[in-house]
This record gives sequence, C-alpha cells and structure tokens, in this order.
Amino acid sequence: MIEKKQQIFNKLGLHARAAAKLSHLANMFSADIYLIFNEDKVNAKSLLGILTLAASVGNEITLQAAGADEKEAIQAIGDLFDRKFDEEI
Amino acid sequence: MSKEVKGIQLSQVRALAPLKIVRVFNERGLANLVSHPRPQRPGLGLTGYLKHIHAGRIQIFGKTEAGYLASLKGEERGRCLRNYFALKLPGVIVAESIEPEADWIAAAARHNTPLLVSELHTAPLISRLNAYLYQYFSKTIKLNGVLMDIMGQGVLITGASGIGKSETALELVNKGYQLIADDVAEFYIDSNDELVGRANEVIKNLMEVRGLGIINVNDIFGASAVLDEKRLNLVINLEKWDPKKKYDRLGEDNLYFKILGLEVPLINLPVGPGRNLSTIIEVALRNFLAKKAGRLTYLESRGPAAPPAPPGAPEEPHTGGGEP
Repeated sequence: MIEKKQQIFNKLGLHARAAAKLSHLANMFSADIYLIFNEDKVNAKSLLGILTLAASVGNEITLQAAGADEKEAIQAIGDLFDRKFDEEI
Repeated sequence: MSKEVKGIQLSQVRALAPLKIVRVFNERGLANLVSHPRPQRPGLGLTGYLKHIHAGRIQIFGKTEAGYLASLKGEERGRCLRNYFALKLPGVIVAESIEPEADWIAAAARHNTPLLVSELHTAPLISRLNAYLYQYFSKTIKLNGVLMDIMGQGVLITGASGIGKSETALELVNKGYQLIADDVAEFYIDSNDELVGRANEVIKNLMEVRGLGIINVNDIFGASAVLDEKRLNLVINLEKWDPKKKYDRLGEDNLYFKILGLEVPLINLPVGPGRNLSTIIEVALRNFLAKKAGRLTYLESRGPAAPPAPPGAPEEPHTGGGEP
C-alpha cells in the first residue's frame, strides 16, 4: 500500500466534472484507491463518494492505493491533480 | 473511518425548533460548549449535594426545581443558587414556560450560564433534547454501498466497484422501493442503540448510473422513491461468483456484519450471468422477514420423499408450516 499527499490546485476543487474525470481514471486501475480528507475516506472509483468530500482549492488530501498497479495509479492520479484536471490553461 | 464529536455550542441547541425555546437570559453564554449527550435534572443538586452534577451537561429545571427554590428563603436560597451555579454549567433550560426569578438569573450570570425558557413540559423536552444530542454526539461512519428501504427494512447493498450495486438499486427503485443513499452511506447510533443510515447532504437523492451519468431519483421517480434516513436491518454483499467458494445452499448460515460495535445480519450474494439480482434481493428480504418472524423456511421442506403408503394405511396428518 502506498500513500501520497496531494494538494488541490484547480479553482473549482473536486466538483462534479473533476470528480468524474478522477473516478474514470481510477477505474482504469485494478488497485483499490482511496482519497482521504478531513478523516473521511472514500473510494476514488466512486463519483458520488468523491463529491461527499467537498474538497476545494488549496486543500490537501491523501491518495492511497493498494494493489498490483498501485504505483502507476498514484502517479497518474497525482498528475491529474497537478494538471488541474485539464480545466485551466 | 469514524469521527467523534467533542461538543456542541449552546446556541445550536437554542436554534432547535422542536425544543420550543421562547426566551433566553444571559445570552453571552450561548457560546458555551455542551460536552455530554444526556441532559440532567439537578434534583438533589439544589440541596447542596453536587457530587453528580456534571459540568458538561445541559441542566433542566421543571416544576420540582422551581418549587423547591420557591420554598427557600433569604440566605439559604442565595447559598443554594451560588453553590449550584459555581459549577460553571453550560446552560439551563427551564421547562413549562416557568419565569426564571431575578436571583436565578443573577447567580447564573456570574458564571456565564444562560437560562433558556421552553414551552415544553420536562418529559418531552428531555426526550427531544436527548434524541438530538445523541445523534449529534454519536460516532459516524461512512460505508461504501447503496442504502435502500426494501419491504420496510433498511438494506445496505455492498460490493466491489463496478459489480452492479447501483444498477441493482435502480431496478429496485423502479420496482417501487426507496433509495436513501447511493455509493456512500453515513451511519450513526441513535439513542435506542440502533444503527441509522442517511445520505451525505451533497449527494442526497442522487444516483450514478454508468452510461446515464448522475440522476436525481427524487426528480425522476418522485418523492415516494426516496427516504431521508433508515435503520439498518440487513447487509447484502454482492461478490463475483467464485466456483471454489462454498455458498449457503440451505439458507442456514447466520453471518453478521460488524459496524460501530453492533452486528447486522449479512448475506453474501454471488453475482453471475443470468442471475436477476433485484429479484433475488426481493426474495432474500421475504426470507429474511420470515426468519425474523421465527419461520425457518428451509427446515419446512420435507427432505427425501417418503415411500407411498400401503393401501388401507391411515393417512398421515398434514404438517406444513409451524415451528421446526
């Protein structure tokens, strides 16, 4: 199992569209992937789960993955956050 | 993952409409923190026996307290109020619209304790306050799954991502059952030690169906298709059919799902091609209800067929149903 702290850079935070991109990406990996924020832990493959976090710009969340492709998963999801979910240029 | 709550501000208690609070004295103390879920009546505390008066609990004054204080005079009454309020209580709710006397207000003000006047009688006041504070102070836990009301029972459908929880739930909603929460359900323990689940406010009434996106069940199916909260009675776990795993063939396994120190009956349901999950879940519920009522349907089958009775023999009495 690996973990990574990740800051949210996009202005709108984890809103519906960003959450959809995130869960879509997470579903490409076989590893179990979780987002942890404010003592809440949700499945990154669940769109509605991500929405319940209501995490916004500037917040720091923890990515957690366990499984065969955990490294690739954390790498790809971290990238998506860093790219601001491709929302801003 | 569960969260614990440290305290609630008295101002939040004051804002609760069901408590029917009509007046507040010493408003400055509304920022006080209540750290205990059970309200308390001072009783003997007013006579000077203060050992069990808890400084974190909301105090309730009724006719007994008011009457006792009215029976005291002069210095005795002053000493009694001074000692009691010196405990730095978070707040006192005076029931039955009893008007607090000037010396109560003054003694309470010295220690920044507000007096709230409620129209309710003490018993309903305490029970309403207790129910609210219990929910507020209860540990909450988020579980992945769909929470539904099926045949009056709260059922949490769990299983790995993509196994078809939401699709099954959608079929069940289409059959007329109610959705409480899709994907993530939050649970707390209420004042009756029962586990109650509800949806996070952000995703209330929403459901994600792959290919359709996010749908609002309340808008599409109407208000009768959703519920705010429900006591959890059964967990149904969907899992990939594993040919090597031994599944319950007789319906006699009694498995339990453990959550927040409570046990909830659990059924493991294998998912395979050609298995209509919503129908199987409906039947599982009928069977669950029969079991709850004390009927074990699997024991009521008669086993291998008996050889035909010889002609002329007396007919066996019919023994269908009843206790095993």
